[in-house]
Amino acid sequence: MTVTRRTLVGIALVAPLSFVGTAFAADPIKIGYQLPLTGNTAQYGQDFKTAAEIALDRFNASGKLPVKVEIVYEDSRSDAKEGVAIARKFVDDEKIVGVLGDFTSGVSMAAAQVYKEAGMPQLSQTASHPDYAKISEWQFRNITTQAGEGPYNADWMVSKGLKKVAVIAEQTDWGQSVTKYFSDELTAKGGTVVMTEYFNRGTPDFRSLLAKIERAKPDAIYTGFFYEDGANFLKQMKQLGYAVPVFSTSAAHNQKLIELAGPDAEGLSLTTNFLPNSPKPEVKSFVEAWVKARGAEPGQFPAQAFDAVNIMLDAIVKTYPKTTRASVRDALAATKDFPGVTGVTTFGPDREPVKQLSKVRVVGGVFSPVAE
Amino acid sequence: MFDPYYLQQLAIGLSQGVIYALMAIGFTLIFGVLNVVNFAHGEVYTVGAFAGLLLITAFAPPFLVVLFVVLAVGAALGFGLERIAFKPFRRFSDEASLKSRAMRESTLMSSLAVSIVAREGLEIAFGSQMQTLPFEYLINKPIAIGPVTIVTGDVIIFVVAALMLGGLQYLLTKTRVGLSIRAVSANPLGAKYVGIDTDRTIVTTFAIGSMMGAGAGILVGLYYGAIFPAMGFVPGIKAFVAMVMGGLSSIPGAVICALLLGLSEGLATTFISSNWADMVAYGFLIVTLIFFPQGLFGAGRERV
Repeated sequence: MTVTRRTLVGIALVAPLSFVGTAFAADPIKIGYQLPLTGNTAQYGQDFKTAAEIALDRFNASGKLPVKVEIVYEDSRSDAKEGVAIARKFVDDEKIVGVLGDFTSGVSMAAAQVYKEAGMPQLSQTASHPDYAKISEWQFRNITTQAGEGPYNADWMVSKGLKKVAVIAEQTDWGQSVTKYFSDELTAKGGTVVMTEYFNRGTPDFRSLLAKIERAKPDAIYTGFFYEDGANFLKQMKQLGYAVPVFSTSAAHNQKLIELAGPDAEGLSLTTNFLPNSPKPEVKSFVEAWVKARGAEPGQFPAQAFDAVNIMLDAIVKTYPKTTRASVRDALAATKDFPGVTGVTTFGPDREPVKQLSKVRVVGGVFSPVAE
Repeated sequence: MFDPYYLQQLAIGLSQGVIYALMAIGFTLIFGVLNVVNFAHGEVYTVGAFAGLLLITAFAPPFLVVLFVVLAVGAALGFGLERIAFKPFRRFSDEASLKSRAMRESTLMSSLAVSIVAREGLEIAFGSQMQTLPFEYLINKPIAIGPVTIVTGDVIIFVVAALMLGGLQYLLTKTRVGLSIRAVSANPLGAKYVGIDTDRTIVTTFAIGSMMGAGAGILVGLYYGAIFPAMGFVPGIKAFVAMVMGGLSSIPGAVICALLLGLSEGLATTFISSNWADMVAYGFLIVTLIFFPQGLFGAGRERV
């Protein structure tokens, strides 16, 4: 029997790892949350943080687990380099069994490479680029992708007889998926895309672009923007006296859009899977808690973050006391009919959520559900 | 047949150009006297806009009152900025220090530092999202002139920019303050030797330049209805490009180049994709630096 020094060293190195999560039962279980808390997209990260705090406080008060769960927040500034650095940090912290975030697809996908290598479950509340969940079996998301939303919108527009459509979107991975999935379905249904154009996020002036769209004479405009660009776009469209129906994605579903654009937001149509005025009890109690914390109604993104945190906590409960990164991943993959505020969520075998989309339109300053 | 579409694009481009010019005037003035870039100019613009926003939400005064209070705030900002970021680097008055490039160029860093602190401070205080403005203050009511639509803000900003430029030219050429600014700008040491209070002149220049920056901030904020902590960055870059193209220290040159920049961006959207329109500015910058290192209007003329 020869036990070499090398195997002894090997055992010594591996042994502690197998006790992670079980050996320190009294210690809190940690979840990492990477999100932009400063920088240009900080408002979204701050929303996620508030949503996560509401979810976590309720969870720890409920006593579902004998130990506390903590969330470690790290500020990624929506910068891919920062995102990767945070991912390494989270991976190195043995107590972290799962990661939430990041906000944008770009940063989430950059960080995903680290999580893929290290074997860390990652659940993003908003990364909707189609390739994100394909990176590895460790990536999950709680948002329907443009692969679902784009065709849904295209069918909606075609059913209303809007067949010549100008498509514009921000120049990002996400924006490109907005135009691609929409345009494919629209052409398949006999519509035409009269023009496709990208703009830089944060463009203050859309008037040149609007004049160009007007010249292309579309029946309607399909847009991939977030609420701030959306508010600018709609305001300037009204200024130029140009009026055609505008359709958009769930990314524009934010009360701030109406606050910023005022009456100019009237008539904007979009798809969403969160309706804050829904009578469901879970939605009501989340909206109440949010209004108490923030003073205004939540949009779709905070709702998705709230659900994502709860789905992760649910997976931890299911695996306790054998909570490891691998077991949390398996529990996440097995998530079925989770009753969230953004609808009942089930993860498919491709780790994509299956959710129901709803149609809403801005009428009288509120996002009102429409049946069309 | 003349296509009204191009007329509309020209009008849009021109209004963009005037906005850049508004910013470039103050920028160039400060560069003129110190020979260094004031990186905090974009934040003066932002703070000016936020000061106006606070005033509007707290007291809802008439538009002109907002504008004048913001101009006063801007002057105070310029004074403070000079104190914090620039004055400490002029504390030695021996000839070697006055001529030292290193001493002068340290202010690049100190003004950048002030700008970062100001921006992050605003983010902590207000959050990075766009602030909501009362709609009646927005200067974006459409005015139709034949096939072309402009908005009230275009007229207001044009008038303000013209007044600023005219007033500044008067100040620089017809008054003693202007004379001392031009003297310091042409030769700071010489100016000191003939008895000009260079410190006071520099402070005055900062106050005037920052006044214009802050005024531009609130006007553009009300024009787009968008006030947020990072709003100064893009106009700052465009104004910088206009300044370099115009020959670094020529105010009329910077204004002309700012207008050119706005017009070409407007037209660029027609011929190439709008997300490439920003490239026009940087393209111009590169071309200028390669072929006209003195700037288009810089060579062989008096500074400022």
